[in-house]
Amino acid sequence: MTTIAAVGDVHLDEDAAGRLRPALGHIGDKADVLLLAGDLTRHGTVGEARVVAKEFSGLDVPVVAVLGNHDYHCDEVAEVTSVLADAGIHVLEGDGMVLDLGECTLGVAGVKGFGGGFEGKCGTAFGEPEMKSFIGHTVAAADQLKSALAALDCDVRVALTHYAPVPETVAGEPPEIFPFLGAYQLGNAIDCCDTALAVHGHAHFGSERGQTPGGVPVRNVAQPVINGAYARYRLPT
Amino acid sequence: MAEQSGTAPHDRAAELHRALAEDPRTSELGVTVTMRGEQVHLSGTVVSAERKAEIDMVVHEAEPGLRVTNDVQIVSAAEPTGAEDIR
Repeated sequence: MTTIAAVGDVHLDEDAAGRLRPALGHIGDKADVLLLAGDLTRHGTVGEARVVAKEFSGLDVPVVAVLGNHDYHCDEVAEVTSVLADAGIHVLEGDGMVLDLGECTLGVAGVKGFGGGFEGKCGTAFGEPEMKSFIGHTVAAADQLKSALAALDCDVRVALTHYAPVPETVAGEPPEIFPFLGAYQLGNAIDCCDTALAVHGHAHFGSERGQTPGGVPVRNVAQPVINGAYARYRLPT
Repeated sequence: MAEQSGTAPHDRAAELHRALAEDPRTSELGVTVTMRGEQVHLSGTVVSAERKAEIDMVVHEAEPGLRVTNDVQIVSAAEPTGAEDIR
């Protein structure tokens, strides 16, 4: 059995430093790995990234993250990623990594993802260049996720995104904004491999549980949804 | 600042929602804004009481005449007590 701890949308900045740390002190007793599903900062500044780095560094489990839209806001993505990496946090964007957990090897493929909407109610790469660019980004992210999942040589495979891969886990949000919360292409990518679990954030008013069309369990771990420092999921190995 | 007279309630709510998202003091996309006459109801979650107060500040600056009910909740940072078995 492998236990995944996961949380997204912690939105840390200097004023919220240390907020999660008390709950993380003994995480090694409760989980084998901690996944961070994006929106780790409030505005995506280097200063905020340092707060995130301090919050999640030195834990007794590996920490694997993707960034979210908030982490992109100040156009300091490279610097933010570097600060987190220097603190030992593995930041994925269209790639993956395999962790040897002793009992099994856990593969995590991660990408921020993007919006676009879900089956029958989605945008298409047609018309204005802005629209083609929007959906093009979505398709590229899904393709990267698919390739990263396929490349993992491991016992258990997990997909980590910020944007949602299915509509079930954004249920609770206004339907009008579903296209800004996720995209069906991410779900299709997850279904292309033998994925045990998909974890995402972004939809604060969403629902925790859903599944892809292919039956892969999907969990929305946005902190307002799980209402805690992290959620725990046990996977058979 | 949103125009207060002759502006539909949903437009005023949309302007406030944009202000909460785009003002760097808040940058909150997860707050629901509901207008009823000269009252506005705010709901959602933030990570601290300070951020809840900042939301009040931005809304009051955008629409000083509004009566604000701020029902935004502070999200828990507690350790989870259980775990889900994924099958």
